[in-house]
Amino acid sequence: MNKQEFLCEIRKGLKGLPEKDVEERISFYGEMIDDRMEEGKTEEQAVAETGTPDEIVSGIIADIPLSKIVKEKIRPKRSLKVWEITLFIFFSPILFSLLIAAIAVVFSLFTVLFSLAISLYAVDLAVAAASLYGLFSFVVISARGNPSVGAAFLGIAIFCIGAAILLFYGSNYVLKKFFVLLKNTALLFKRSVIGKEKMK
Amino acid sequence: MDAQLKRGLLDVCVLSAIKNDESYGYKIIKDMKPYLEMSESTLYTILKRLETAELLTVRTAEHDGRLRKYYKITKNGLKRIENFKEEWREVMSIYKFVSKESGNE
Repeated sequence: MNKQEFLCEIRKGLKGLPEKDVEERISFYGEMIDDRMEEGKTEEQAVAETGTPDEIVSGIIADIPLSKIVKEKIRPKRSLKVWEITLFIFFSPILFSLLIAAIAVVFSLFTVLFSLAISLYAVDLAVAAASLYGLFSFVVISARGNPSVGAAFLGIAIFCIGAAILLFYGSNYVLKKFFVLLKNTALLFKRSVIGKEKMK
Repeated sequence: MDAQLKRGLLDVCVLSAIKNDESYGYKIIKDMKPYLEMSESTLYTILKRLETAELLTVRTAEHDGRLRKYYKITKNGLKRIENFKEEWREVMSIYKFVSKESGNE
């Protein structure tokens, strides 16, 4: 990828952000590439060392507070006409409740996923408790002179210990994935808000 | 590391890179490289923040037929470095105590 393509990709990714900010960023990355080339690197090398456009764009967007993006988005590009305002006020009871409903749906979706992840830990705890009970039964039943039944409980206990350890790592994995999903959703939301603005 | 703390540390790092002489983006990254790796995007955010806080000033000058931005530290920027050093003397003595008491693992 050459410098022109690289900067073009970044510009495309940042579409919707204030023009001045984007231009400043572009010239910053351009300068970095030029300085690398001045050191004797080829254009391709200099671009590769600066990073991939996708990484850079994601990093930039993740850094901007959501409130700023929304503010930028909401600020009208021209003053609204009277009939537009009237229409907006007229429909606001519907629009507003739709917005709340949408937020509630997303929120509950994440709550469900989160509780699913947490419930895995509960299952894990139950299995761990079962293993303790198995060990206890093994000791008591063996002491009462029934070693074969005792051995069966020991087997169950060992199985439960294994399952509990496995489940613990499984639960950690699921919880971690949940947070990754949450972060990606936020990023996706930011990107879609930014993207829509300039697509006229 | 705590994000707030890290931000403060990186700010002082960049200020130190331009303490003695004005510098430009790529040189700042190169000068810091033996001590810490910083991506271009991170540096950009920090430079912006320091400019807004008036800890450095920016000027654009021609270099080799193209434009380059040079960053120069202000009085407040120098003061920030001094404050940092003073604060960290205290932190270091706390660290010494903590290491000693916890058996320095």
